[in-house]
Amino acid sequence: MKKNILAQAVALALMASPLAASASEAELLKRLDKLAAEVEQLKAELAATKKKADTVEKRQDALAAAPVAPVAVAAAPAVAAAPVSTVAATSPATMLGPNTVLSSYGEVNYTRPRHDSSKAQTDVARAVIGITHRFDEKTKMVAEFEWEHAVTSASDKGETEVEQLYVEREFNNGLRAKGGLFLIPAGLLNTNHEPTAYYGVYRNFVETAIIPSTWREAGLGLSQTLDNGLTWDAGVTTGFDLSKWDAASTEGRDSPLGSIHQEGQMAKSHDLSVFGALNWRGVPGLLLGGSVFTGKVGQKTPDFPAQDARLTLWDLHARYTPGKWDLSAVYARGTISNTEALNQTFAGQPTPVPSSFYGWYTQAAYQLWKNSDYTLTPFVRYERFNTANGYAAMPAGLAVATGPNEGVWTTGLNFNVGEGVVLKADYQKFKVDTARDRFNLGLGYAF
Amino acid sequence: MFQDNVAAPARNPGRLKWPLALAMACLAAACGGGGGDSASTPITPVADGGLSKVAGLGKKIFSDQSLSASGKQSCATCHNPDNAHAQSNDLAVQLGGANLDVPGFRAVPSLRYLNLTPAFFFASDGTPTGGFNRDGRANTLADQSERPFLAPHEMANGSKANVIVRLKQAAYAEEFRQVFGASILDNSDDAFNRIQLALQQYQKEDADFHPYDSKYDQFLAGKVPLDAAELRGLALFNNPTKGNCVACHLSAKGSDGSPPLFTDFTFDNLGVPRNPAIAATADAAYFDLGLCGPDRTDLGNRSELCGAFKVPTLRNVATRKVFFHNGYFKTLREAVSFYVKRDTNPELWYPADANGAAQKFNDLPEQYRKNVNVTEVPYNRQPNMPPALSDSEVDDVVQFLGTLTDGYKAQ
Repeated sequence: MKKNILAQAVALALMASPLAASASEAELLKRLDKLAAEVEQLKAELAATKKKADTVEKRQDALAAAPVAPVAVAAAPAVAAAPVSTVAATSPATMLGPNTVLSSYGEVNYTRPRHDSSKAQTDVARAVIGITHRFDEKTKMVAEFEWEHAVTSASDKGETEVEQLYVEREFNNGLRAKGGLFLIPAGLLNTNHEPTAYYGVYRNFVETAIIPSTWREAGLGLSQTLDNGLTWDAGVTTGFDLSKWDAASTEGRDSPLGSIHQEGQMAKSHDLSVFGALNWRGVPGLLLGGSVFTGKVGQKTPDFPAQDARLTLWDLHARYTPGKWDLSAVYARGTISNTEALNQTFAGQPTPVPSSFYGWYTQAAYQLWKNSDYTLTPFVRYERFNTANGYAAMPAGLAVATGPNEGVWTTGLNFNVGEGVVLKADYQKFKVDTARDRFNLGLGYAF
Repeated sequence: MFQDNVAAPARNPGRLKWPLALAMACLAAACGGGGGDSASTPITPVADGGLSKVAGLGKKIFSDQSLSASGKQSCATCHNPDNAHAQSNDLAVQLGGANLDVPGFRAVPSLRYLNLTPAFFFASDGTPTGGFNRDGRANTLADQSERPFLAPHEMANGSKANVIVRLKQAAYAEEFRQVFGASILDNSDDAFNRIQLALQQYQKEDADFHPYDSKYDQFLAGKVPLDAAELRGLALFNNPTKGNCVACHLSAKGSDGSPPLFTDFTFDNLGVPRNPAIAATADAAYFDLGLCGPDRTDLGNRSELCGAFKVPTLRNVATRKVFFHNGYFKTLREAVSFYVKRDTNPELWYPADANGAAQKFNDLPEQYRKNVNVTEVPYNRQPNMPPALSDSEVDDVVQFLGTLTDGYKAQ
């Protein structure tokens, strides 16, 4: 099956490659030669993979080497390892038609605080349905629809949302352009957020509290993967709306950007943002990357005292998967400028707008045991983050104490059943807010 | 007439009560206009200051003294547009009637910023919310405007028909017919209904009732700074462990960017001292219990609500001459101090009994005194504890409250 899948990926890559009508014969031959070489390379990789005979490991390699949307059928022109993530999407079982693919992921979680079992909770945290339709070999649509927390109504806590909705067109030179609502390529998790793709029952804090996963914006984006393993992304999108800041709630302490995101919901668009990302996969199993996103967040809201406030969020990330190891690290930092006047209006309230927030984590996972159906992967992660690392200066006597540098140890294991199902268990220990220490169990799937 | 509260700090849903009561029908407030929509008369915007014809009529009615038994009292008498549509004197209650010598029962509230008040309802957690009058019993500004015309201690017309008899003599009677129909004055009830509608429309349409042009509004818009004391006062006002005023008097813009109204439309029981300046209190058995009566009659069996009065907006609070529903306090500083020292120094506010002990909550019958809010900051204190705000902090809060006065012009 693996072989078939890879063969499909190769075929799709071939179809998707730039055999343009306008290219000269010489150019075409050159390109064919290049593609042939790439096919050979893929075959070699397939052989190596078969030798390992470990489907889970392959999937982890894919995650490490190609953090792209799981439904990205036939992504870039055949850089090593890039097409592996197309496995699920091209499975015949998920085909709705000759050109339409159904995908889905979901997670059900159980949490039991160590010091207060009365707060134990079970949540159908996410249920997601995705549809990818390929209009032709170069044009596709990707949509993802999500329910969070099981029930959505005026009196319930759930949410229903369009998580992705974009059209992508590939051009002859391998350049890809997309428009619509799409994921911002920041960190490791945001574009690769299915429960089978990360360790631990819950997504890590750095990539939820600092990088507001699942973070999507509406706009236009370009990307291209070069022969040297470098992928670049750039785009212009909607941004955040600082006028949504609620200084009386703790939401801004939990996730500064999560509390002011717009998610394509009648998003104020006076101030657009720009982003850029570079990811290098030149060595098998290694990913090195970084991203930056910046834009004004006042949105020319009438009578709003922070019209010139600007958000800038950047990150550096790395993932390395040598053998049975899966090692990763992320550093992310955000700043919001020109908040002085706005924060004065919040005097005395518990959650003013921070001028800076940051976080980093490092994580190690090791594939301890496996057979044909199951894989057991223990992991440990340490995170450090501060959602209120600094505030703009306030008049004497009105300064607000900055937030603590919270540190969290998460240790546990992922138990994969086949490729698409994962059972998880972990324990999280908090350095500052020890009341949050908790045991977690989770069930997830993705296809 | 009514009065308004001042900085009411936090409140708990669910505490309100008061004693029983005697019956005395108190109605307070002078004219007031309204909120609801009734009648089917189309309201067409016209030129007059941007007001519709209906609102334009409301404006004339609002200041027409001829619509009172005394011939000397209009809505504007007690709701003076030059004093934030509230009383200009410092009487706890106003005098009305044919000879302007009949005392009322409650202090006059401002009519500013009432246009967004919802009709009375119980929130999902049981918190009584909304409505007009200090007990929330009128569902609309139109409903609210009925009482002042008829109440013996206000304009004292005695009947709707008497009001219409007087309206027929008004200079704008013909205009009234043009707007509401040639025969409208032939039916007193219909005509009176149109008066209520016109007053309501006037209050809703005329920006004078909700200008949002205080210093604080301009500060929220980033156009003017607050000075150091005002900012300190704002911080104390908002701080959940200090003034905690924001628990009821919301100070931040809404999620839709709407300016704050400084009320959450709920009710609270503050245990304000009995005010002997109100004539009715000469009867030791008289108590004004707010939500549970005697003016309001539908919640008489909800003893836990006895003593609760509506949380008023704090906009223009610095222009008030008397504070709280019974007008007991005459200065804003006293009112703010009462919040923070009510429980730490009750002897400052309540008369002593025969043993020399302060009679806390003496404007409530004994059985309802437990309804008084003693759990939220800043009330959660005992004698010998420091008050939630020091004297200088009270000064700062008062300074901040001064920024809520309409019509601020930067120097």
